[in-house]
Amino acid sequence: MNGGRRLLEINDLRVARPGSPSPELERFSLTLNAGETVVLLGEADCGKGAVLRLLGGLCERGEALSGTIRFGAGETRQAAQNLQIPIRVAWLAAAASQPLNPHAGVAPQLARVIAHKLGCPPGAGREELRAALARLPGAPAIEVLDQPPAKRNMVATGWGLLATACAQTPDLVLCDHAFADLSPAAVRVLTAALLAEQTRLGFAILYAARGPQTIARIGGRALVLRRGRVVEEGTAEHLMSGQTHEYTQSFFRALPRLVTDKAPRPTARGEPLLQVQGLILRPGDKARSRSRDGISFELRRGASLALVGEEGSGRRGMMRAVLGLDRRPGRTLFDAVDLTMLSRSMATRLRRSIAFVSGADDALDPRMTLWDTVEEPLKAQLDLSREMIAGYRDSALKRVGLASQDGGRAVAMLAPFDKRRLQVARAIVAAPVLVVIDEPLHGLDAVAQTTMRDLLAAFRLAHQAAFLVITGDLSVAQALADEVMVFHDGRVVERGVMRDLLRVPKEPATHALIEAVTFPAFPRQDAPV
Amino acid sequence: MSIVSVSAPPAAAAFLRRFLVCVGWSGLGLVAVAVVLSDFLAPVPAGATHIGPLLSAPSARFPFGTDLAGRDMFSETLHGLSVTVAQACEAAAPAILAGGLLGFMSAHLPRPAGLVLRWAIGVLAAVPALLLAILALGLIGRGFAGIAAGLAVAPLAFMHAFDRAGAAGNSVYAGYARAMGVSASTLLRRDLAYEFRDRFVSSAARAFVTVTIVLATVGFLHFGAEPPQRDLGLMISDATATDMQAWWTAVFPALGLLILILLARLAAGPDEGARP
Amino acid sequence: MWRFALWEGGRFALGLFGAALLAAGISALSVAGGQGGGRAFLSAMAGRLLAFLRLDFGTGAGGQDVLHELVARSPTTLALVLLGAVIAFLFGVPLGLLLSGGPLRRAAAPLIQIVAAAPVFCAGLALALIAQRLFHRPAGGATALLLAALTVGLAGAAAVQLALRRAAAEIQYAPFRLGLRQLGLPAPEIDRVYVAPLVFAGAFRGLGDVMLALLSATLVAEGIFKCPGLADLFLTSVALRDWNAAALVLFAFAGAALLADFAGRLGAQTIAAR
Repeated sequence: MNGGRRLLEINDLRVARPGSPSPELERFSLTLNAGETVVLLGEADCGKGAVLRLLGGLCERGEALSGTIRFGAGETRQAAQNLQIPIRVAWLAAAASQPLNPHAGVAPQLARVIAHKLGCPPGAGREELRAALARLPGAPAIEVLDQPPAKRNMVATGWGLLATACAQTPDLVLCDHAFADLSPAAVRVLTAALLAEQTRLGFAILYAARGPQTIARIGGRALVLRRGRVVEEGTAEHLMSGQTHEYTQSFFRALPRLVTDKAPRPTARGEPLLQVQGLILRPGDKARSRSRDGISFELRRGASLALVGEEGSGRRGMMRAVLGLDRRPGRTLFDAVDLTMLSRSMATRLRRSIAFVSGADDALDPRMTLWDTVEEPLKAQLDLSREMIAGYRDSALKRVGLASQDGGRAVAMLAPFDKRRLQVARAIVAAPVLVVIDEPLHGLDAVAQTTMRDLLAAFRLAHQAAFLVITGDLSVAQALADEVMVFHDGRVVERGVMRDLLRVPKEPATHALIEAVTFPAFPRQDAPV
Repeated sequence: MSIVSVSAPPAAAAFLRRFLVCVGWSGLGLVAVAVVLSDFLAPVPAGATHIGPLLSAPSARFPFGTDLAGRDMFSETLHGLSVTVAQACEAAAPAILAGGLLGFMSAHLPRPAGLVLRWAIGVLAAVPALLLAILALGLIGRGFAGIAAGLAVAPLAFMHAFDRAGAAGNSVYAGYARAMGVSASTLLRRDLAYEFRDRFVSSAARAFVTVTIVLATVGFLHFGAEPPQRDLGLMISDATATDMQAWWTAVFPALGLLILILLARLAAGPDEGARP
Repeated sequence: MWRFALWEGGRFALGLFGAALLAAGISALSVAGGQGGGRAFLSAMAGRLLAFLRLDFGTGAGGQDVLHELVARSPTTLALVLLGAVIAFLFGVPLGLLLSGGPLRRAAAPLIQIVAAAPVFCAGLALALIAQRLFHRPAGGATALLLAALTVGLAGAAAVQLALRRAAAEIQYAPFRLGLRQLGLPAPEIDRVYVAPLVFAGAFRGLGDVMLALLSATLVAEGIFKCPGLADLFLTSVALRDWNAAALVLFAFAGAALLADFAGRLGAQTIAAR
């Protein structure tokens, strides 16, 4: 794909935002040919945004730009805010970034975008969108996208956004973390569709990504950026087989890998801690439940279980039922007690031995301070002196790497990664018997993902708490749990010990989950780092 | 998530907001001093008639002129301001306590009880606060203008506090906190503490603005302070007896009222969510 | 949509019932006269509520039927509210839209604070003063009605522009504004097609507040410009402790505010769902 005509050439680009002490991007040079793929890898604010903004014609007011840019065989021009871009550029946004009006239908909005870009009436834009969706294998019909984005899952919106970009028959697609925060299986299918369209239409891809998974899936050439500078550059094969720069190495450590020869930990033989009996996740399953009795499982003290499945498979519904956030038909016993049968105060007392770590940013009270958040479980459970509380708090914050943070800072002011670590610190001081973990790596940069994964694994080793992990990523499940239950369409389709399930998967849903975190560019598939 | 983040409000706007709030509170502080020292600052006592010629225009001797009864308008404006501020303080207390605090607590009641209470107070909030205040004054007597205005404004404060507390109670983090054994009383305590820390001062200033407007209007309609005591609203109303020929009898008390309301509005912070 | 309309209709009906209860309670003061304790009051209140169902709202202090009095006075108030509403939207909508923009709104914030600091009666008196200087005599007749409507309208305009600005502030940083720009839609088109309906929907949601502002202003304007309407009837009734008339006016005003709120919510939902 690299032998196409020259599409653009950027030389010595420097971008500085108004009021910022250091430039967002400097000494950046890039050559991109037609049909070529270039991935810009890096954490937030590493400078990849500046490149996309420039090429998307979205520079902010007051931004200072220098350097040169040349499109195709045209003249070399100075980089400027109001740069005229002579090539067709399509922007592929992430559905998770909520790029569409939540009150209007997805398809009408996308049709309007296509109509504007192609200079045709909205009706024709809709037909273009319909045709583009029809060309993408696995994409939903346009009628499905007539609903507002909130009513559809993010994958459907992702298909719509991809179809919109392809319908514009662009020369260049700017992928702004295009499939971020979707489940690995969805990302795999969408990426394959994007690459197929690239082959068909011959457009170049400039992909801004925050994790190494993208380069492993999409291939091409990669530029690793850190604090506005390119620290390493190379082809996918080159970077996958070994990295030179220390930062790139830490970045690539986040690449999920399934380990099929990992010996399982001795299975816990403690008393049952969590027993789910005949739980029905979908109302329609009620009739079926008479014969099958819904979903049942148990989690013993100190054991670990992962509930794995695609979005909408029912894993999160199960988690909400276990946490008591939703009432569903069936029984959930915690420590052999049905919490719904207890008085509120008794249930509250028992629930204090449950900790929860979520990938959602709104899992913590944004008004609370960092210290208050960690201290709350201690104050609720134990009658400790102030000094002891401070000691436990500081120790927990140190373990998660937040000791240097200002304790009086509000949670709302923390970065997503800090919020995530704060949840772990809170869980540590609560000394729980059950830790429920929901998509712990969701929305994090590559380096943060590695740290978070290590943090949770260390927590699991240090405490004898039972772990219930809810995720769509089997590699996360493997890092944190020994047993696994695979959910599909509101039912459990497969369950067992993690290693056995990875070696001999029986169900197509399990196969799909394994394939989603298997990268063909790897030299050795199952080699642990 | 997206690389081109939605731009936050510029720092200059935040600075301007803080500056205006400071101006508001400083101004209110000066008004408070003027009110406390009104008996010393005013050249003549409240209601003293025939101090000068009738309806004398502003002059060196009477900077704000005199009214139909020969009262010094400067002294009268100061005394009127003092009465209005005292009444507004008296009114703001029930508005905050019976409205804000009760609304906040009600949101934490069992759901049916909370909804019934919200419905009942919602009916009162559907009546203009001015009408409610006048009705309350008709029922309990004109001497209680402050309390009547406070009770009239309380339903609005109740609804705001109830809805805010309800949103906090239904939030994702509150659900997770309950799932992890954080008791209802702890959540209520937490909500109250943060409500007090984050909103009390601005809510109090906002309540002060609303009750001041209600009180002044009630006074203007002759349902407020009882003569010989006169608040700013009554003074402006009295000025209409001259068919607005002596403009200074209306303009100076009106200016005093406007400045008081403006300062309290600035102290509350320029909030888009403020109710008219 | 139908489900929403039914839900809101139920809320409106419950609100009206509550307003009727409130009015019955006030009206019962005439019957119970503060004697006989709580039981007598409750029984009187129930009696008044039943009487309301028969459209019997009692008699006023002068022995006249309060319903007739209400009907006789309604046109003035209705004219003031309707004219006021027209003026409110004529002035309030452009002002609100103009001040909804980011930099302009921030720059105008102190100015708005100063304008909004003026109580309605001050604005009414200022208008009366200007009219007097222009015509060299106090306003009367149609001029008085127009000035009263202008006073009411200005109060309404303040509420309308506030509702618009509040709605605009809510979606100022909505992620879709940037998202659609990235996808390729120009900002004016995004504002026209997606932002403006949401702003107007937000403003519609504040229709109840606008009606409250209009009704409050009517109370003042009728007094200043001597146009006796319902508000004047209310003031006189309370002064004379004629609770039957006061209760009926209160019910009428609460009903109007609830109706505006109901219509506003339905309108907002319709606009937002388009």
